[in-house]
Amino acid sequence: MDDWLIAIIKVVGIWVWVLLIAVVMTWVERRGAALIQDRPGPNRAGPWGLFQPLADGIKLFTKEEIIPTKAQKLLYIIGPLLFSVPAFSAYAVVPFGDKIVLGGKEIILQVSDVNIGFLYILAIGSMAVYGVILGGWGSNNKYSILGGLRSTAQMVSYEVPLGLALLGIVFVYGTFSLRDISLAQQGTFLGFLPNWGIFKQPLGFILFIVAAYAEANRVPFDLPEAESEIVSGYHTEYGSMRLGLYLFGEYVNLVTISGIIVALYFGSWHIPYIDLGAYLGPISWGIVSFCIFFLKVSFFLWMFVWVRWTLPRFRYDQVMGLGWRGLIPLALFNIFITALFIQLTV
Amino acid sequence: MAKPVVKKEYTLSERIYLWEILKGMKLTWGHFWFNFKACWRPGPHTIPTCWQYPEDRTREISPIFRGEHMLQRDDKGRETCIACGMCAKICPAQCITIKKAKRKEGEEDKYAAKTYPATFEVDLLRCIFCGFCEDVCPKNAIVLGQEYEFARYTKEECILDKRKLLMNYRKAKEEGKLKPPRKRVPVVPAPPKPEKAGKTEGGESKKGKAAVAGKAKKKPVAKKKAPEKAESTEKAEGGEKKQAAEKEE
Repeated sequence: MDDWLIAIIKVVGIWVWVLLIAVVMTWVERRGAALIQDRPGPNRAGPWGLFQPLADGIKLFTKEEIIPTKAQKLLYIIGPLLFSVPAFSAYAVVPFGDKIVLGGKEIILQVSDVNIGFLYILAIGSMAVYGVILGGWGSNNKYSILGGLRSTAQMVSYEVPLGLALLGIVFVYGTFSLRDISLAQQGTFLGFLPNWGIFKQPLGFILFIVAAYAEANRVPFDLPEAESEIVSGYHTEYGSMRLGLYLFGEYVNLVTISGIIVALYFGSWHIPYIDLGAYLGPISWGIVSFCIFFLKVSFFLWMFVWVRWTLPRFRYDQVMGLGWRGLIPLALFNIFITALFIQLTV
Repeated sequence: MAKPVVKKEYTLSERIYLWEILKGMKLTWGHFWFNFKACWRPGPHTIPTCWQYPEDRTREISPIFRGEHMLQRDDKGRETCIACGMCAKICPAQCITIKKAKRKEGEEDKYAAKTYPATFEVDLLRCIFCGFCEDVCPKNAIVLGQEYEFARYTKEECILDKRKLLMNYRKAKEEGKLKPPRKRVPVVPAPPKPEKAGKTEGGESKKGKAAVAGKAKKKPVAKKKAPEKAESTEKAEGGEKKQAAEKEE
């Protein structure tokens, strides 16, 4: 019974937490963009405009839900759901802290420690394409279908380097579980380098982050919703909360991807050189590890915004060229080098 | 000929993107950090490039800004407008209505000239703030001031009558926002008119045409008219010479 309760609390808690981050991210995105472009951004609603996402949410909720007459109703309705549900569910295997001991019970700060966490993430990540392409197809609009097609090709081709980059991590740590990988990143190697994924897989990290930006449809790979070319791509015809689901789903995706990056490459809840877990009590360590993890995640969330307002969009053939001729050979090379290194040293 | 496009050869670091991306991110970070620090400054004007308008009115307005109209008075407090109607005439939006009145005896301290506008209305809904009226005004009476908040609730309020125009002047004077006396536009001397030459030339051309017509119609009589024609060509040449000489001058 207790296990069930804990599981439900964890699920609901992390769902609310991720949603909250996604909501705040819309504000961060707009304010960050504004500051980078030398303007203040939304600063009217609440202190520093912090209630802006709330106002946006109220607006989206109270808007009339319009289904275009020529749209295919089922696909049109199911599109945003298929996009946002995988986005939320992908976070299930990503840890958000070490563990906390409450009443003699050890609670892992992770919704579920699946031992095939990687495969789960890749599988769920591929699901998001359906939301985009079905939404684009169902809208019965030229721009929507163009956006949907672009996203299909892009997300499918970038899944290959994404998976191959993750394979390097699997080689190094010898496990599919994200919690085991996080635990393995404690301490140092070669005497001075922290035991983090980025130091063991520098090329893999670059490949992963590039592919992840493409998977999340973020600039410079935001071809599916290129607003200067195809209005707003696959969600051109969407309004009210259906559009909101697409937008929220995108930000939830960002949170998940940042979580994965931190868990795999940036030492999860570990701080280099210091093992805080040895000094702190079980409860306080749980909270501190959560905070450390969140700080790292927020840095990568900020980097998404930062990169977005730095780079222009790639041309479509450049995106495909980079994916197939740049990233995939590099990923294969990375796997080869990693395998060779492991074979020679172990 | 179009400028030839020179395609730049990218270096290896540029083709890899990553280093260049980091350089770009450094640039945007510079902007972000500068503005982030600026956000904590006190007062409404924080980010230097942005004016938070309703709260922040510190933005400087050019002294020759073309804002709300006013009718100026002279040093003795008399109305300077003479109701000549030039502003009403030049106004491209036709927003000025003037009724002229003659100054009676004993009103010398009110009006500077012998005539004055009995009514002077400026329709702000029509006005395009081109400033032609103040340019054309011989007495520098109508002036576009510094005031730029015109939003009103009714149409009637948007029509400035003489009282409001004079009040605008008083307000501007109290706030020290009077327009500096405008610089005199240097008058370009009109080019000398080639009156005589033009007249003769015009006359000659007519004559010439007639002569040609006559020639076409009556061939045998052409001989008789030939000397006339010669004369006329001579005259025309003379006229041209005169014109050329004047042009050279």
